[in-house]
Amino acid sequence: GSIETREVHSAVAFVSARREWLDGKQNERVEVEAQKTESGLVPTHLALGSCHRGGATSGFTVSEFTPAGKLLVPSGSSSKGLHLHCCCYMEPFTILHKASSRKTDKISTGTGKSRTTRRIDLTASLPASTDISDVNAAESNERHYSNMRMEAFEAVWSSTESSIKDVLREANATIFSEIHEWVRDSFDTIVSFGVPNFHEATQPFPVVKDATSKQIFTGLVLTRNIEFVDDLVTFEDLKQHLKSQGCHVANLSSVDFSSKNGVGTCLRSLLGQFVTGSLDTADISMLATWYKEQQNNDNPVVIIIDDMERCCASILSEFIHMLSEWVLKVPAILIMGVATTVDAPRNVLPSNALHRLHARKFTFQSLPEKMNYVVETAFVKQSSEFTISHKTAVFMRNYFVHQNGSVTSFIRALKIACAQHFSTQPLCFILHWFLRDEDNEVPQSHIYGLSQERMLKLAFDLPSWKSTNNQITQLSGETLLDGLTQLKKLHKTWRMVVLCLYEAIKGENVQLLDLMCEALDPKGPFASQFDIGSRVLPSDDSTSQKFHSLEKNKGLINRAIRRVKELPANQLLVLMKAWEKHTVDVPEFHSEVKALVLSLLKLEENGESLNQNKVEMTNTRKQALRGHLNGADKNLRVANEKASNLVDLMVRRYMCPVECVALHEVLCFDCVDQLQAALIGDMRRRIQMDLQDFHAIIRCSCCSKRGSTILPSMPDSSIMYTLAQEHGDVVNVHDWYQSFKSVVLSTHMVSKRGKSRSKQHSPTPKKRKTTSELSQPSEASIQARFCKAIVELQVTGLVRMPNRRRPDYLQRLAFGS
Amino acid sequence: RKAKLFPPVPPLSFLHSFWSDGEQTPESRTFHSAAFCRPAMEINDGEEEEEFEFSRNYFLAKELGGSSKKSGRKISDIDPVDEQELRTAANNLEPKHEREVASLMESYKASYPEWGFMLRTGFGLLMYGFGSKKALIEDFASTSLTEYSVVVINGYVQSINLKQVMVAIAEVWWDQLKAKRRNSPSQAQQPFNSRSIDDLLAFMDGQEADDDKSFVCIIVNNIDGPGLREPESQHLLARIASCTHIRIIASIDHVNAPLLWDKKMVHTQFNWYWYHVPTFAPYVVEGVFFPLILAHSSTAQSAKTAAIVLQSLTPNAQSVFRVLAEYQLSHPDVEGMPIESLYAASRERFLVSSQVTLNSHLTEFKDHELVKTRRNADGQDCVYIPLANDGLQKLLPEINP
Repeated sequence: GSIETREVHSAVAFVSARREWLDGKQNERVEVEAQKTESGLVPTHLALGSCHRGGATSGFTVSEFTPAGKLLVPSGSSSKGLHLHCCCYMEPFTILHKASSRKTDKISTGTGKSRTTRRIDLTASLPASTDISDVNAAESNERHYSNMRMEAFEAVWSSTESSIKDVLREANATIFSEIHEWVRDSFDTIVSFGVPNFHEATQPFPVVKDATSKQIFTGLVLTRNIEFVDDLVTFEDLKQHLKSQGCHVANLSSVDFSSKNGVGTCLRSLLGQFVTGSLDTADISMLATWYKEQQNNDNPVVIIIDDMERCCASILSEFIHMLSEWVLKVPAILIMGVATTVDAPRNVLPSNALHRLHARKFTFQSLPEKMNYVVETAFVKQSSEFTISHKTAVFMRNYFVHQNGSVTSFIRALKIACAQHFSTQPLCFILHWFLRDEDNEVPQSHIYGLSQERMLKLAFDLPSWKSTNNQITQLSGETLLDGLTQLKKLHKTWRMVVLCLYEAIKGENVQLLDLMCEALDPKGPFASQFDIGSRVLPSDDSTSQKFHSLEKNKGLINRAIRRVKELPANQLLVLMKAWEKHTVDVPEFHSEVKALVLSLLKLEENGESLNQNKVEMTNTRKQALRGHLNGADKNLRVANEKASNLVDLMVRRYMCPVECVALHEVLCFDCVDQLQAALIGDMRRRIQMDLQDFHAIIRCSCCSKRGSTILPSMPDSSIMYTLAQEHGDVVNVHDWYQSFKSVVLSTHMVSKRGKSRSKQHSPTPKKRKTTSELSQPSEASIQARFCKAIVELQVTGLVRMPNRRRPDYLQRLAFGS
Repeated sequence: RKAKLFPPVPPLSFLHSFWSDGEQTPESRTFHSAAFCRPAMEINDGEEEEEFEFSRNYFLAKELGGSSKKSGRKISDIDPVDEQELRTAANNLEPKHEREVASLMESYKASYPEWGFMLRTGFGLLMYGFGSKKALIEDFASTSLTEYSVVVINGYVQSINLKQVMVAIAEVWWDQLKAKRRNSPSQAQQPFNSRSIDDLLAFMDGQEADDDKSFVCIIVNNIDGPGLREPESQHLLARIASCTHIRIIASIDHVNAPLLWDKKMVHTQFNWYWYHVPTFAPYVVEGVFFPLILAHSSTAQSAKTAAIVLQSLTPNAQSVFRVLAEYQLSHPDVEGMPIESLYAASRERFLVSSQVTLNSHLTEFKDHELVKTRRNADGQDCVYIPLANDGLQKLLPEINP
């Protein structure tokens, strides 16, 4: 036939010709030859794949090839053509396709040095081009809608994220300015040691003065986080803050201080952040030159090292020595993050390096405090209405407390939840609508690719709507609007109550997240009056009563209510003032709180006047005064009682968990399993589960579960894995092979005994057919399957190849799940 | 409460001992199982029990290990078939459950929109589960990510030059940028080849794009593969993945793969979003570089081929080989036979007359890889036969006496 020329750019390529073509022409020779190019033939040993010819294989090997050699294959005259898979699997990297608005059939491959473009004709596999325009239209619609959803997600998430970031930055604001002040003072001290004159400054070696001038001002920052991931965020903020104040700031991480590469790496990294242009050599004199070239030399160079304890001690001390020698030319100030205690430098650094440091301690906010800020912003004060269900909140709390302990990861988990909400909940765009504050008109669903009717149908089919409002028959846009307004209102008041409770209990070292979990619980003791129907809350009355009485004195909410009752006057006043702010939107409470504030203020005034009178007290008047004091005390008790009743009322009337509100699915994320799967990949367990319970995944008819018997139709790797369970931590290859072989051969027995039955049961595997037709799988094929299965287990890391000491054993690396 | 937190991520150097063929201490493994294989968190109490189960399995296996050592069967007892035959058979294996695997792959198509959505929101997708995921991921990329350029990195290849990859990515991104704003004059670009890694990263991270929603997608097949296992590679990949205009999709297969990353990489740079997508597709390309256990270590095999080669040599050459073989059998612990000794022994038996003749024999042996040379502790050049002793014993009777 005609010869098609395809360029192959690769040292090793896999070529496999499709069976369909070759089956018919078993005698046709497949010519694969390398053509000479200008560069001449480069002998390279190639491992090429093989052509299947009706079961028999004729491998072909091309021993000579050029880097841009040509592979000549005669294309058959049949319409199918030779389906050449020239997949260049062995390339380190390929470019699958370049960005385009339409689908492309171009595949180009390349390595760094020489690049050629190769076309592979894939027309045979492309769909018929009849309704391409329809497809395109639908596709572009879909893309548009997905873009709109994306936009909605971005709007909602960015509002949450930016407010969280702001609050974290604000939390650090005071300590940041304190650090800045210290940096300035230190800089002034360095300058006071003497500024190098022009002659000195141009010399490529440091200025030498007395020992005190060699000290480096070092800020030891206690980050008080559990994970250094959180420190990174803080230090990035600090860097921005100092930069905005005019300092030259560079960040170094512990990776730069690795013993492998020496001090050069961190110098290069340091220079890279200041000096532009390419750096061939890294030398601190370059830094001095750079500093001298700055227009005004009245700004210090601040070097932040994220995690001092993870740095290689010798490199760090070398770095400190170098800086201290040059400190007059490059006024460097170190800021080092310390995760444990201030003693850390003493444990890490040698004494001669310690002598060069002039340290001062700074302490950041502790993790629980930060966490409270984040939760408060994200769930209680946030501008977007997105929230999470009780189960999700409990999961995220556990994830934080038991598993991760980092605020960054908590925020990430929240983002995953939000993204999942937007990708699964068709009505999620309502969140965007909430955000834009267009409450007076029905959401424009058509923008998001959802017709009005469809939106209403979806909304009124939500379980929460059905269980509460099944008596309403008139389902219109207005009904939905009312429902949504109600939802928003209830969510708002819930947040108000939680905030008030949190204010009451703040001093007791309580985590807001815990309080939130309790307040979100739709089955909690306070949620019963918001019961949205028996469907959601299946518990019968007697048990719930019991539960309530049991729970009566437990829980943070009860604790908060009790605490209000016992607060001294001044604290109560502070609390009431805070409540006054929070309850603005609920006039009913607002007025009461106001009244309380007034009465407390009065009490305080009286108290003060009493105190003044105390000095001039005479014995005779004491009696009367005691009575008066008792009166004041009584007044306070009354105020306490009032406040406590008020908060109790608030909780009972307004703290409606979001899951008890109709239509809550719109803004409340509830797929906790999905979140968990995305967040915590359980690699080790799942791989083994896959091999064990493969049947649940591939759902074949041939290997239906029959107890724990190993069936020969199972995937080879599964058979091998299951067999390995019977061995210890090392597996004798010979024994393993024998048991594998006996399992494989049992296929033969089964298919011999019940040929017809097995055919009915397993029409799929060709293996079965061929084995039952052929008398027995050959020894070679069993061995090949054994080898392949071991390779697969090796790829997954479940076994390791024999080592020199134990040549006949494989080592198992994973032990059950 | 915080006491229940996991120990910190181990330093990456620990990985090497874990992955290399060196001996592994039980401590490292129990540590691993506690820290990383903990079943996903559950609200109920089943967790502790499962963990107990897990450690019990480990100790049971260890205990069994002691007893099973008594089974001293050798690989050669299997009587492996001819290597060529084995390889042919291995290339010819009929895949099992082909149809089910295909429909499983097909079923993942329904998740493509979700995957695309997550990718756009800034997460990196991490695919795991048994079976090769290369075809699945690339199919996803070529159907759902047509508006973005896609670069595929194959981690199962033995060595990968990430700098070259970065240059390619930067070029692709540059093309994408250029296509976006055709009318604006394209500024002169320094060729990416000569730029430093930091420059390239800055370019991919830069704010030059008009809309910052476009990106280049990188697919890393087997990010835990041998070509990318070095901590440096992983750090660089993490830095690439954290660039504004880069999104990453990666697949992992090794159970210990998560050990490659510290929390900074996982949570802030790669920003992984896990997907469990078992495909049960055979690991064809991923396994290419793994030796077939029965082909690799079959001593009978190599002895047989050695015999064939030897039989085509002159009787004197065969006898020289015999001298060497006998020496090696009687001195199992030395590096090899010093060439001088071999010369002396051969001369004694009138097999060679001069050093030149011996050298010509040795050259012949070396060309057929029958012998190899190395230095012993005294600095002498030694020759040895790269066969195990039992292989040698099988070989000896086949050579002329």
